Amino acid sequence: MFIKNKRSKTWPRLVLPLALLTLGGCSRSGLFLLEPEGLISQTFYHYFMLDVGIMLLIIIPTVVLTIWAMWRYRKGGNGSYHPQWSHSYAIEAVVWGIPLLTVGVLSYLSVKAIYDVNPYNPGVIAKAQQAAGGDPVEVDVIATDWRWLFIYPQQHIASVDELVVPVGTPVRFRLTSTSVVNDFIIPQLVGMIDVMPGMRTKQALVADKAGTYVGYSADYSGAGLSWMHFQTKAVSPAQFEQWVQSAQQSPQHLSYAGFNRFARPYIAVGGDQQIFGQVQPDLFDQVVGEVMRGKVWPTPMAMTENMVNYMKKQRAEQKAGDY
Amino acid sequence: MLVHLQGPWNPLLGRLTLQQIPYENPILLGTFIFAAILGVIVLGATTRYGKWGYVWREWLTTVDHKKIGVMYCLVGLVMLFRGFIDALMIRTQQAIAIGPNSPGALGAVHGYLTPFHVGQIYTAHGLIMVVFAATPLLVGIMNIIVPLQIGARDMAYPYLNALGLWLTTAGGALVMLSLFVGNFAHGGWYGFVPYFELPYSPGVGVDYWMWAFQLSVLGTTMGSINLIATIVKMRAPGMTWMRMPIFTWASLSTNLIALTSFPVLMVALGLLGMDRYLGTHFYTAGMGGNLMLYNDLFWIWGHPEVYFLILPAFGMMSEIIPTFSEKTLFGYATMVIASFAIGGVSWGVWLHHFFTMAAAPNVNSFYSITTMLVGIPTGVKVFNWIFTMYRGRVRYELPMLWALLALFLLLVGGMTGMMNAFASNDYMWHNGLFVVAHFHMMVLLIAASVFGAVEYWFPKVFGFKLEQKWGKWFFWFMVLGTGWVFVPMFFLGMAGMTRRLDYIPYTQWAPYLHITLVGMAFYVVAVLFFVAHLYVSLRDREKNRVGADAWGTSRNLEWMTHSPVPAYNFAFIPHVNARDEWAWRKENGIAELHAGDYEDIHMPKNTGIPLFLGLLSMGLAFALVWRIWWLALLCLVLMVALIIIRSFDRDTDTTIPAREVERVERAARDGSSGSVPPAGVLGDAVIATSTVRSGSGGIGGNTTSPRPSWAPRNR
Amino acid sequence: MSASTTQKIDPNRLTLWERHYPGHDMISTRTFGFWLYMLTDAMVYAALFASLGVLSHAVNLAGGPPPSAIINPVYAYGETITLFLSVLAYGYSMVALKSGSRGGVVGGMFVSMLLGVVFLAIAATDMGHLFAQGVVPETSGFLSIFFTILIYHALHIVVGVVWMLVMIAQIARDGFSANVVYRLINLRLFWHFQAVIWVFVFTFVYLQGMVA
Repeated sequence: MFIKNKRSKTWPRLVLPLALLTLGGCSRSGLFLLEPEGLISQTFYHYFMLDVGIMLLIIIPTVVLTIWAMWRYRKGGNGSYHPQWSHSYAIEAVVWGIPLLTVGVLSYLSVKAIYDVNPYNPGVIAKAQQAAGGDPVEVDVIATDWRWLFIYPQQHIASVDELVVPVGTPVRFRLTSTSVVNDFIIPQLVGMIDVMPGMRTKQALVADKAGTYVGYSADYSGAGLSWMHFQTKAVSPAQFEQWVQSAQQSPQHLSYAGFNRFARPYIAVGGDQQIFGQVQPDLFDQVVGEVMRGKVWPTPMAMTENMVNYMKKQRAEQKAGDY
Repeated sequence: MLVHLQGPWNPLLGRLTLQQIPYENPILLGTFIFAAILGVIVLGATTRYGKWGYVWREWLTTVDHKKIGVMYCLVGLVMLFRGFIDALMIRTQQAIAIGPNSPGALGAVHGYLTPFHVGQIYTAHGLIMVVFAATPLLVGIMNIIVPLQIGARDMAYPYLNALGLWLTTAGGALVMLSLFVGNFAHGGWYGFVPYFELPYSPGVGVDYWMWAFQLSVLGTTMGSINLIATIVKMRAPGMTWMRMPIFTWASLSTNLIALTSFPVLMVALGLLGMDRYLGTHFYTAGMGGNLMLYNDLFWIWGHPEVYFLILPAFGMMSEIIPTFSEKTLFGYATMVIASFAIGGVSWGVWLHHFFTMAAAPNVNSFYSITTMLVGIPTGVKVFNWIFTMYRGRVRYELPMLWALLALFLLLVGGMTGMMNAFASNDYMWHNGLFVVAHFHMMVLLIAASVFGAVEYWFPKVFGFKLEQKWGKWFFWFMVLGTGWVFVPMFFLGMAGMTRRLDYIPYTQWAPYLHITLVGMAFYVVAVLFFVAHLYVSLRDREKNRVGADAWGTSRNLEWMTHSPVPAYNFAFIPHVNARDEWAWRKENGIAELHAGDYEDIHMPKNTGIPLFLGLLSMGLAFALVWRIWWLALLCLVLMVALIIIRSFDRDTDTTIPAREVERVERAARDGSSGSVPPAGVLGDAVIATSTVRSGSGGIGGNTTSPRPSWAPRNR
Repeated sequence: MSASTTQKIDPNRLTLWERHYPGHDMISTRTFGFWLYMLTDAMVYAALFASLGVLSHAVNLAGGPPPSAIINPVYAYGETITLFLSVLAYGYSMVALKSGSRGGVVGGMFVSMLLGVVFLAIAATDMGHLFAQGVVPETSGFLSIFFTILIYHALHIVVGVVWMLVMIAQIARDGFSANVVYRLINLRLFWHFQAVIWVFVFTFVYLQGMVA
C-alpha cells in the first residue's frame, strides 16, 4: 500500500511571513518544522499555519491600536483628555468578546488537530490506512542511556541509532526506555511522544518522500543527550525489503543478556550505528517487565564529572565488550 | 532504612570530602576568587566604617516591612546577576559547540563546558530566575507597597515576614554554596524523575537543588499567609473591597495562588526526598512507583506559580499606566475579575506541561482548551491598558517605558503562548526552544514590570528619584538584547531545536545561535548601564529629592505619607473615602498631609531570631545535603528550641512616643532646615548628611498649614 | 467614582485621617492567619491523598502485601477513639477558657495531651509490628505512600503535644494574656483539624484499603 498526501501540495504555497523570512537564506535551512515531509508533520503544519493566521488577525490590530493610542494621547499631543473616563459597556463587551471568540475558534481547531495527530491512533493515518489497506510496519523502540535501539519484530532484526522506514507505508511504534524518560521525535516526519521506563507508549508515522531525516530525544536524559540522535532513512518499499534482507545477514545477535550489557550508559559521540541480524522475539516486553520489577542501569558517579576521561574509558570498554 | 550511596561516607562529615571542592576547575576557581574579593570588600568596608551595629540594628534584625522588602529586592538582584551570568555561559557554549568539528577545551569534547557542567548551569539559571530572583523581587515589592497602599502600619505578622525573608535567603545562599562545595543538580530546574533519583543522579547536586527549593517554598508560603492576612484584616477604615488599589488586588490574587499551590510543591519535593534518602518508591520506574506522579504534583504547583509571578507584574503595570496616562484605570472591576479569573484557571491547566506523555486525546483536548481560556482575561487586561491610555495624557518617563515594554512583550508572549496551548503544535516543539523563547518573553515581561515598579516606587522608599539618562540607555539596550536573543530563538524553535543541549549537531543552526550571542552582548552592555544608572542616581540623590507625591499624578494611599516613608508609615491612618483616594483628594483640593496632635504609635520590636532561624535552616539543609546526621539533628533541635523560646518572649512590642513622631514628621516637612530627617529605609547612614527638600514632586510635598480645617476628628 | 467627584466636596463633613486609631484586632487577625496556614496544610494532605489514589493500583503493590493484609482494625479503632476523646477533652478545656478557669483549661489540656501520647503509642506499636514483619516503606510504591501519610499525621500529633506542653507553661506563667488566648484558639483549630484529617485517613487509607 502507498499513501499519497494531498494536503502537502496546497499549504506550502500559502507561506506566511514567518516562512518567507526563512526562505531568504537557503531552502535546507535546518528549520525542520517548516519543511514537513510526513503525513503527521504536514497535518501539524496545516493547523499551525491556521493558528498563526488567526492569532495575527488579533495581534496585529492590537499592536496598531496600542501604538496609535501611545502616539495620539501622548502628553502635548492633540488627543482629547478625559481623566475621569474609565468605563464603557460597549468597549467592555468588545474587549471580552474578541478574546472569547478567538479562543472559541482556536479551541475547536485545537481539538480537531489533537484527534488528527493523536500519537496512539492518529486520525489522519487511520483514515489513510482505511483507504489504502495493507499492513503497517511495526517497530519497537527502546531508548537506553544514550542510544536508540529499533527492533523490527516482524523481521527479527534490530538497528542502533538508525531507523529505516518505507515511504508511503504507516509505521507504528511501541516505545519504552530502560532508565529515564526520553522523548522521541523526527521533526520532519512526526512529533513527540514520551519514552518512559517500565511503560509502553505508541506513535505512528507515514513518510511522504524518500530521504534522510534526523531524529533525537527531546527530553533531558543525562550527559549523553546531545549525542542521542539517530538517522531516519525513508526509502522505497523495494529498497526497504532489500535493507531487511541484508540486515538479516548480520552476524551479530541480540538476546536479553546482550541487551543488558548494551544498555549500560554510553555516550554515542561517534554516531555508532549497528545492526543485529537476529533478535530475541519478546525482548521489548522483557525489558518493560524487568524495569517494572526494579531493574536499573545506574549512571556511575565518575562518568558525569569529566567527559574526556569518561570517553577514553568508554572506548576501552567498548573494545572489550561484545553484544 | 537509609539508602545505599555511591562514594564514601563517614559519620563526622557525611559525604563531604576534600575532592568535593572543585578547585581544579578554572571557571569555578575564578568565580570563587571573585566572590571572595567581593566578600572581603563588603565585610571590610562594614568593619572599617564601623557599620556593624547599624547593619545589625537596622537591617539584620528588623521586622519593618519596608526594610524586609528592600532586602528581598537586594537578594533578588544578586541572584538575578548570578542567573544572568549562567545565561551568558549557556549561550556562549551553544555558540561554540556546533557541529562535529567544533573545538573543545577544559575536559569538554565541544565548547568549554562538559555536559555535567552545562547541566548545572541551566538548572541553576532556571531555579534562580524563577525562585530566587523573580519571586524575591516581586515579594519584596509587594511587601513594601501593599501595607502602604492599604494604609497599614505593618504586616499582620512582622516576625513571620522576617522569617520568610531569611528562609528564602538561606535557600539562595545554598544555591551559591553549591558552586564551591560539591555541585548542583544537572537536569533542569523543574527536575525529572526518575532522572533525579539516586541511580541516575548519584551526587549531591539534586539534594542541593531540593533543599534550596524547599526553603524558598517555606519562605514564600509564609509570605503569602502574611500578605493575605494583611490585606484582609488590616485595611484602613473606609477601604472597602472595591476601593482597594489594583496592585493590592493583584497581590491578593497572586498570594491566594501561592497559598494553595506551594504546599503541593512541598509534597512533590518531599516525596522525591523520601526516595533519595529513605529508599521509598514514589517516583521510581519499577517497584510500584509512578513517575508521572511527580510531573503532576510538580506542575500542579508549577503552572499556578507562573501566574503567581505574572499577576503582581500585571498589578504593577496597572499602577504605572494610569499614573503616567494621568487618568483613571479603565475597567477597574474588569481588571479585578480578570486577575481572579487568571488565578482560578491557573489551577486547571497543568497538564499542558506534558502534552506529549501520551494522555488520551480527550484529556489533551481538555487541557488545551483550559490553557487557551487564560488568553481571555489576559486579552481583556491588554485592552484595558490600551483604553487607559486612550483619552489620557501619556508621559513617557522611565516607569512608563518599562510598563509599555511589558505590554508589548505580553503581546508576543501571549500570542506564542496561545500557539503552545494548541496541543498539536506542542507535540512538535515541546521542550523546544520555541517554548523557551515564549516563556522568556513572559518572564522578561515580569522583569520589565519589576524594573518599572522599582523606578516608580523607588522615590517612595528612598526619598529620591532615580536619574533618567542612564536609565534610558539601560532600557533601550534591554530592548535590543531581548530582540536579538529571542527572535532567533523563535526561529530555532521552528528548527526543532530542543532545550538543554550542550552540543548542537546541526551546523545549519549556527547563524541563529551566533545572533543570540550578539544579543547577549547587548545585555552585557545593558547591565553596565544599569550599574551606571544606580551609581549616578545615588551620587546625584540630592538633586532628585521628592516630596510625598513623587510623580505628581499618582493615585493611591502609598503617596499619602512622606518619602522616604517613616518607620510607622502613617502618623495618622488615612480614612478612605473613594477608590484612588489620593487622586480623589487632589481633584477636590484637599490633598494635604495632616500635621499636629501626634500620638504614641505601637510597633513591633526588632528581633534576631528570624535571622538565626534562617541560618540554622541553612545549616540543616547543608547537613542533609551531605548527610551529616548529627549536624542536621543539632540544627533541628536548636530551631525548635528557638521557636519555643521566642513564644515565651513577652517583650515583643515597642512604642514610638508622640514626641519622636512629631520630630520625624517635622523633619520630613521642614527638611530644608537641616534637622534630623525621618528614619526612612536608608536610615541615618546615608541621608543623615543630606537635607530633605520637599515640594518638588507634587501637591502633597509641602504641607505647611499646622492645623488644616479638615483635621481629623475622633471617630 | 466619577459621579462623586463632579459635585463639590465639603471637607468639614469628611473624615480624612483617623486619630486615636485603635489598631487592628490582634486575636482576630492571628486566627484568620492560622486558618490560612491550615489551608496550606490541607493542601499538603490533599496532595498526599491524591498520591495515595495514584499509587493504589495493583501494579503499585510490586509484589508487596496489599492494604487488606496489613491493616489492623483493632489498632485503627483504638487510634480513632483516642484521638476523638483527646479532641473532646480539648473542647472542655476551651469551655473552661470561657469562664476563665485556669485549672479547667490546664486540666482539659493535660488529658488531651495524654490521649495524644496514647495515640502515638498505638500508632508506634502498629507500625513496629509491620516493620518487624518486613513490611517497610521501601517494599513498594503503595507502602511508601501508606506509611508517609500515617507518619505525616503522627508528626502533627507530636507537634500538637509539644504545643500543649508549651501552652501549659505559658498559662502557668502569664495567665490568659492576649498572646496566650490567641494561641489557645489556634491550637484548638489545629487539634480539631488533626481529627478531621484522621477521618480522611481512616476513610481513604483504612476503610478503602480493607475494601479494595
